[in-house]
Amino acid sequence: MSLVGELVVLLVNGLQTGAIYVLLAIGLSIILGTLKFVNFAHGALYVVGAYIGLLITQQISIANGQLAEWGFPTLGLGWGFIAALVIVPPIVFVVGLAMERFVARPFYDRPDTDQILVTFGLAIVVQELIHALIGPRSYTYDIPSEIAGGIPFSGPVGVPLSAVTIDVWRVWVIAITATLVIAVYAIVEYTDFGLVVKAGTRDPEMVRLLGIRITRPYLVMFGIGAGLAGVAGVVGAPLSNINPEIGMTILVPAFLTVVIGGVGSIRGAVLGGTLIGMVQVTLISLGTVSLGSLSINFTPWAQVGIYALAVVVLLTRPQGLLGSEEVTA
Amino acid sequence: MSHDGKSVSRRGLLKNAGAAGTVGLVGLAGCSEGGDGDGDGDGDGGGGGGDGGDDYPALGNYPIDGDTATFGFNVPKSGPYSSEGEDELRAYELAVEHLNNGGGWVDEFEDLSGEGVLDYEIDFVEGDTATDASAADESASRMVQRDDVIMFSGGSSSAVAIAQQGVAQREKVLFMCCLTHSNDTTGKDCVRYSFREMFNAYMTGQALTPVVTEEYGDDLDFYQLYADYSWGQTQQASMKQFFEEAGWNEVDSVATPLDTSDFSSYLSEAQSSGADVLFLNHYGLDGANSLTDAVDAGIDEDMEIVMPLYNRPMAEAASGAIDGIYGTIAWDSQIDNEPSNQFAEVFGEEYDGRSPSGPAQLAYAQTLQYAAAAERAGTFYPPEVIRELEDYDYDNIGMGEETMRACDHQAQRAIPVVRGLPESEQEGGNFFEIVDITSRDDVGYGCDEGPAAECELGEYGDE
Repeated sequence: MSLVGELVVLLVNGLQTGAIYVLLAIGLSIILGTLKFVNFAHGALYVVGAYIGLLITQQISIANGQLAEWGFPTLGLGWGFIAALVIVPPIVFVVGLAMERFVARPFYDRPDTDQILVTFGLAIVVQELIHALIGPRSYTYDIPSEIAGGIPFSGPVGVPLSAVTIDVWRVWVIAITATLVIAVYAIVEYTDFGLVVKAGTRDPEMVRLLGIRITRPYLVMFGIGAGLAGVAGVVGAPLSNINPEIGMTILVPAFLTVVIGGVGSIRGAVLGGTLIGMVQVTLISLGTVSLGSLSINFTPWAQVGIYALAVVVLLTRPQGLLGSEEVTA
Repeated sequence: MSHDGKSVSRRGLLKNAGAAGTVGLVGLAGCSEGGDGDGDGDGDGGGGGGDGGDDYPALGNYPIDGDTATFGFNVPKSGPYSSEGEDELRAYELAVEHLNNGGGWVDEFEDLSGEGVLDYEIDFVEGDTATDASAADESASRMVQRDDVIMFSGGSSSAVAIAQQGVAQREKVLFMCCLTHSNDTTGKDCVRYSFREMFNAYMTGQALTPVVTEEYGDDLDFYQLYADYSWGQTQQASMKQFFEEAGWNEVDSVATPLDTSDFSSYLSEAQSSGADVLFLNHYGLDGANSLTDAVDAGIDEDMEIVMPLYNRPMAEAASGAIDGIYGTIAWDSQIDNEPSNQFAEVFGEEYDGRSPSGPAQLAYAQTLQYAAAAERAGTFYPPEVIRELEDYDYDNIGMGEETMRACDHQAQRAIPVVRGLPESEQEGGNFFEIVDITSRDDVGYGCDEGPAAECELGEYGDE
């Protein structure tokens, strides 16, 4: 493979891995930045998105789940992946609204530790409910290789001028993420709604004194964050497996993304997610590098790499790369 | 714990007597664990009377209280090997059903009656190994101590099997390996209280090398990805050994963590290595993922891919990606002989026409092999059952003539080499064509060679 080819593959894999982190981190970061709410149940929204998407996409057979004993040995609509891609975000948005109203709001004025405990507990409840109802086994998505008009959707596609092939779904993940991120960024930066949210982040008391009901924008922001996590579940799932534990696994890199990028900053989440994705993928892809007689295998260091990155950022810029000091103070 | 003090002291005495006969720490562990275990098992003091006629001391969970013998089936219900675990459990349940009521191979095994085993009805408990060695250890220990199982079985993941072998030897309760393919299971980690029907990575190397080198040519460079635990490590070592002996050259080999779902970065490195052939030493869902990722990235157009260990659930999950890929499998329903056909038939009748996988055949065979050995021994006393299994020759589980070798408890058997079918030909539950069933004379190694050279089985417990 040529150097250009290797770089293309590296870039696609790195950006795609980062894209999933970005989708999760934006929700986390906004909720933490505007509402000062630490949401450990954000990973649960990712799981919910992945499972709802799975049930919309295809029919699954349930072997070890309680649902099988209740007379549902198979479950699912079988409408296909595109349908899931469209339907899941609004559903998880609504789930997010419910979560804000019934779980988050009563805890806004409570200490961080209470928020962590209740949301972490909720994440465990969701995980174990899926475990009990659908069972612990892993599922994979059936994803079409082409969509209408013969546009390639998944599977190998040659990259011009580089003599390499890549899985085109990864490019789609990057594109979908970029579109959504730009949309959310535009809403926050260029609309009155966004202005209220941003003002509320700076000084909620003053916003209330000006006669603005601030609870509604908060509710919507929570929903948007949740919807993005749901999207991450659907677009990420064809590249991995779906089982009840994936929410906990993804939560840690998502929080790292927020820490590295800076709380409350959409641009920070994008930067943080991309950095983590690239570092992780580069270390895995480097493999064994020989420098004279010294030979180092970088692959096992991939996990260490992202935490090392977080450590360096926390030591040099505690507020995150693009975070402002007021917000984290 | 509240129970009848009288029966405890009776059983406690027996247990202590048994423990006294064993040596050193193992005996001590057996003693204390045994003391833990009998809280649940002995509701009625008279139940053990049936064993009174035996001349054997108490050992492990022998003697059995009551008239029901319990087997433990410890399979992965979660984690990357859970599909395999599900299929194993189906076969275990079928085995118990047949042992109690006849049917399937039980009617053909001359040692088995179809009316329980040694006049005991067979019951079973299930456990979840979660494809994790410490979870498996915990689950197996619970089965042995709380549920008083007389034998336990399970598999998928050699790290898990090896952990359970440790429990078996420590507790003096027999473990019948289901799917485990590491060289270490009957190599450096072998134990007296465990038997393996499945072949190992070393034998896969022996079976696969001639077929693959003939297909793809001599003097090729190959690159290996392998799962980073006992199985993957020995699998990688054996592939390197046999293919390099055949004139190929390993460019590099890279470990991937168990339960990896996205292999693309590992694969891009393989792709840029310039090697001609890629070995994916992954199993279960990891195997399905790595193969699918490889095909999705178009690697199969530049390199030949080999999947040394395959099975039906993996092929199902990877579907079109297995087209033309070589590998070995434990067993397949296409293997045409009396026991194979019969097993496929009874399994299909029980489970809506489903075709059993290789791990299912192993699960069914190992349960029946244990029961038959107990019948031959005339007792559940573990050392006697072990002696019946050692060097036992059989030809009744669908893989031709086999011997359960005494020196390392490794079955000496034939190995099916397969090639994946294209998606368009994957009909009726067939995912591969069988290229060769490599005879047991062409694979294997002496008791002082290969993995067996490192095997020290340990004690029977009645020395």
